[in-house]
Amino acid sequence: MIVKSRRNEIVVAYALMAPFIIVYGVLFVYPSVKMFKLSFTDAPLIGEGAWVGFKNFWRLQSDRLFSTAIWNTTYFVLLSVVPSTLIGLAVALGVNRLRGRLQGVVLAAFFLPYILPVSVVYRIWSWMFDKDFGVAQYVITPFTGGQHVSVFRTLPLFMPAVAFVTIWWLLGFNVLLFIAGLRNISSEIYEAAALDGAGRWTQFRRITWPLIWPVTALVLTIQLILQLKIFDQVYLFANNVRTDATMVMVQYILKQAFQMNKGGLAAAASVVLFLVIVVASVLQFQLLRARGER
Amino acid sequence: MIRKILGAALATTALMIGAARAEDTIVWWDFLSGGDGVRMKAMLEEFNKEHAGKVKIDASTFDWGVPFYTKVQTSAAVGQGPDVMTYHESRMPLGISTGSLSPITPEELAASGIKATDFGPANWKAAQGTDGKQYGVPLDIHSIILYYNKDLLKKAGLLGDDGKPKGLDGLANWDAALAKLTTKDVAALSVPADNASGWRVFYTLLNQQGGDFLKDGKFLDGDNLDKAATVLAEMQKWVKNGWTPAKTEYPASIALFTAGKAAMHINGVWEVPTMVDLAKKGALFDWGAIQIPVIYDHPATWADSHSFAIPDRKGNPVDAAKRKEVLDAVHWFNEHSLEWAGGGHVPAFLPVQESAEFKALKPNSDYVSLAKTAVFDPVSTLAGVASPVYDAAGNYVVPAMSGEMEAADAAKQMRDDLQNQAK
Repeated sequence: MIVKSRRNEIVVAYALMAPFIIVYGVLFVYPSVKMFKLSFTDAPLIGEGAWVGFKNFWRLQSDRLFSTAIWNTTYFVLLSVVPSTLIGLAVALGVNRLRGRLQGVVLAAFFLPYILPVSVVYRIWSWMFDKDFGVAQYVITPFTGGQHVSVFRTLPLFMPAVAFVTIWWLLGFNVLLFIAGLRNISSEIYEAAALDGAGRWTQFRRITWPLIWPVTALVLTIQLILQLKIFDQVYLFANNVRTDATMVMVQYILKQAFQMNKGGLAAAASVVLFLVIVVASVLQFQLLRARGER
Repeated sequence: MIRKILGAALATTALMIGAARAEDTIVWWDFLSGGDGVRMKAMLEEFNKEHAGKVKIDASTFDWGVPFYTKVQTSAAVGQGPDVMTYHESRMPLGISTGSLSPITPEELAASGIKATDFGPANWKAAQGTDGKQYGVPLDIHSIILYYNKDLLKKAGLLGDDGKPKGLDGLANWDAALAKLTTKDVAALSVPADNASGWRVFYTLLNQQGGDFLKDGKFLDGDNLDKAATVLAEMQKWVKNGWTPAKTEYPASIALFTAGKAAMHINGVWEVPTMVDLAKKGALFDWGAIQIPVIYDHPATWADSHSFAIPDRKGNPVDAAKRKEVLDAVHWFNEHSLEWAGGGHVPAFLPVQESAEFKALKPNSDYVSLAKTAVFDPVSTLAGVASPVYDAAGNYVVPAMSGEMEAADAAKQMRDDLQNQAK
């Protein structure tokens, strides 16, 4: 009897898990295995190809454009991940001090950009920064002696500007996570600290920062994975000009697969990106956890 | 109960099949979303009204460029997709090489009344593969033209009595005219600084010198490299001397012209409806448009052609009866292409292009002469709309123009980059 009910339980468990396992298998595991296999062939975008061993990977490491893509992606990660986390925390600390309806309104204001689709974000900022008609030129010209600047068409400004827009766009989500984290810290701890004569800065350094650390680690990891996959904003803001100089990894994959019709090479580049993301995020999470436990 | 539902379902299915037989549906894909797209929708409505009860075109419009062609290629490969689609002639070599296009036999063309002699020879041939088979039927020729502000040209003494610009031909005259038109508040010329526009202007001026961009598998071979560098240096000069604003986005470059802040504007014929509509609202100055002046040795203008093609849907080909209906429809659109010319384009169909009605159509008739000396994109899987050649224009032509790269250096890098991709 016991055996039977146990078996029933297992059957029910599998039945409940089945939809997820099937979807996960069909939409993730199977394509991933295919991608690894494809990366060792010379397949076009559609159809089979012949086995070529590590030739695609060899080609990638000698391709100047791929090196540019790796560098640009890394540069973008550096520009966006830590700044967006720190600014998110700062904003959350500020919002957390507000009370009642005002807090709701301010929080909504910070969260609003997050719900916009990337195409809208692109339109807003490309018009704001437009060299000839953009309102941002009024802010820029005092620094340049009246000279209008085409922000997204000046290479050294391109990645910082895209990172700026990205931080503006996605900040709301980080703020939300931090606020949830801050609300979890009991006010009694602060009261006790205040009684002991701890100032604002000490309170932050000794209480808020250590207790919010798990959330910070989470935000950093989410941001890292997200920004390694940067594509939309770079593609839109480059607007088909200087695409080689602003190339990022996902864009390289798109170019090889859909423009050059080289499915095998694109799969190899995808494998590299996949491994980079796995290694970087596991490494980062371990590092952050180690620091948090200290 | 079940029987009842089943019966109802069967009856509905039968009804649907009956309806489908009475009126066949042609699934149509295009990428025409600009001012010309509005005219195409009107034409589609007219077609459906005229053929009500017999054939109905079910049209969808998709994003121009890479997204459209990717969708076509992937759907054809799995036996999906439309019965007919618009296709740039310049993109055909790539489409044929990836097996996205189905060849059309001479018998099929004849059965629908489509004749090669009704099209310009270069235009017709551009829709053929290296195998000599026909893969498309042209609808139009579209090109870049020079838009001009009559008031500003008149002030600079560059407007003839016929209302057309004078003294723009020849390099020295052209440069002098640009210098004369430039004032403190007004630039002489606005050009969109995007890859496609850069390519069109560059290719036009290269061909005006008789240069070959691609010959026998070699990009910018021999003295063609010098000719390319000459063009890039000239375009750079426009910016350096303040005649042309640098790094102007596509919509901003149009706005500069329509706001009277640029005396002339180089852009595609497809922006004619923009000007016509503004002028109709009384929001535009007295304007005109002509063929790009002969700045170098002889007239030549970049051109491409919207054509109709049938996708090669693997395992689910468009059947013979449907193909006949499709080609009949294609012929109908060519016969009615005077309306399409309202979108600025030059009709490919010669009986319309040479008709009195088209000759009376303004401003088209002022620049139709370009069709005779039009140069189409090089025939290569690396060339055509949204191709590596277009990308190269964004990577080398645009930065050369804005002065971020040396002209000769940019030409050399462009050659090496494309030659490398051809391997």
